[in-house]
Amino acid sequence: MKTFIFSIITIIAITSCGEVDDNTPMVPVDDDFDPMEMGTTLIKKGTLMGIGHTVTGDVKVYNSAGQLVVVFDPFSSQNGPDLKVYLSKDEKAMEYLNLGALKSTTGKQSYDVSGMPNLDQYKFVMVWCQEFSVLFGIAELQMP
Amino acid sequence: MLLTTAQFFIQSYVTAQELPSTFKIIDLDGAIGDTQGTLTLSFNLDRNFGKRQRLVAGLGARFTSYLGKNQYYITAPAELTSGSTGLGVIFKENIDANIDTFLIKKAQVNSLNLVVTFGYNVSLKLLLRFNIDVIGFSFGKSANGNYINGSEGAMESSDPTPFNLLLVSDNDKGSLNSEFFARYLLNHKWGVKGGIQFHFTEYTTDTEVQQQPAPNDRFRNKSLMFMAGVSFKL
Repeated sequence: MKTFIFSIITIIAITSCGEVDDNTPMVPVDDDFDPMEMGTTLIKKGTLMGIGHTVTGDVKVYNSAGQLVVVFDPFSSQNGPDLKVYLSKDEKAMEYLNLGALKSTTGKQSYDVSGMPNLDQYKFVMVWCQEFSVLFGIAELQMP
Repeated sequence: MLLTTAQFFIQSYVTAQELPSTFKIIDLDGAIGDTQGTLTLSFNLDRNFGKRQRLVAGLGARFTSYLGKNQYYITAPAELTSGSTGLGVIFKENIDANIDTFLIKKAQVNSLNLVVTFGYNVSLKLLLRFNIDVIGFSFGKSANGNYINGSEGAMESSDPTPFNLLLVSDNDKGSLNSEFFARYLLNHKWGVKGGIQFHFTEYTTDTEVQQQPAPNDRFRNKSLMFMAGVSFKL
C-alpha cells in the first residue's frame, strides 16, 4: 500500500515538474518602426531590468499619429514559455494590457497599444510568462 | 489461450450466481493528467440486483483532493456559456464570446461529496462501475489567478466555490468528480481498479472580474485524467 501511494505521488510530481518548451522565437527581429517619421513623438522611456531572469534593453513609447507604440531597442531576453509583453499599472500586473506575444528573444521590436491608455497609470512595461505567471523583466516608464 | 478465455467466461457465469446482495468497499485512487492530479478516498455501499445480481446501484461518500499547476479556468455559469439554464443546455454549443479565462498558478481544491454509483458485475472478480458526485462541499487555500479578457487582464484572488451540486451540464456548481472504471478483486478483501476520471473544480473570485455580458465570479476547470487505485472490501 505504501509503495502504491508513493508511486502515485512520484508520478504526479514528475509530471508537474517536467521541462517546458522554450517557445519564443530566437531569431533576431528588426521591426521597421521609424521613430524619426513625421508625426511620431517619444512620450515615455525606461530601462528593462531582469527579475530572476536575464532581460536587458531599452523601452520607448511613441505616439505615432495617434497610435501608441511600445518599442524595445536594443533588447535581449532569456527564453521562456508563453512570454507576453504587458503594459501594467503596477509591478505585479494586477491590472494590465496585453500587447501580444514577445516576438523574439532579441532584436528591435514594436508593439501597438490598443486604445489610448493613460501612461501615468500604466507606467510599467513587462516581459511576462503568462502560462506560469512569472515576471521575467520590467521597465518603469518615465518622461524622456 | 482459448481455454483460459473459456474458463474465464464459465467462471463469470457460475460465480455471478454467488454474488452477495451488498458490497461495502473503500477505494483509494490516484489520477493524473497534464500538470494536475487527484487523490481520492471513498466509501461505497453497492447493492446488487437483477436476476443474477449483476446490476449495481449504490451510494457513498468521496473525498477528492485536487492539485493543479497553471490551470486554465473558464467562465462557469450556464447562462453565460450557453445562454440559458434549462435542460436543453446540454445540447447547446458554447458561446465563445461570453467565455473568459482565469489562469490559476497553483490550484488546490478539496471536496467531500455524496456519490452515486451504477455498475455491472461481469463476474465475482471483475466489476464495472460508473460513479458521480451529487452534492457536497469544497475547501482549499485561496489562489491568485490571472483574469484574461482579450488584451485586458487583471490579477485576482479566488477561493474554491464552497457548495457543490450536480445539475445539468454547466448548471453544475462547485467541484464534482466522476469515474468510469473496472475493479478486479484479487481476493476476498483486496482489489485493484483502473479507468478514467472526469473532474470539475471551480473557483469563485473575490470580485466579479468578468463584467461582460454579465457580472461573473465563477470559473471552472474540467479535467479528464487516467486513474488507478486499490479497493478494500469490508
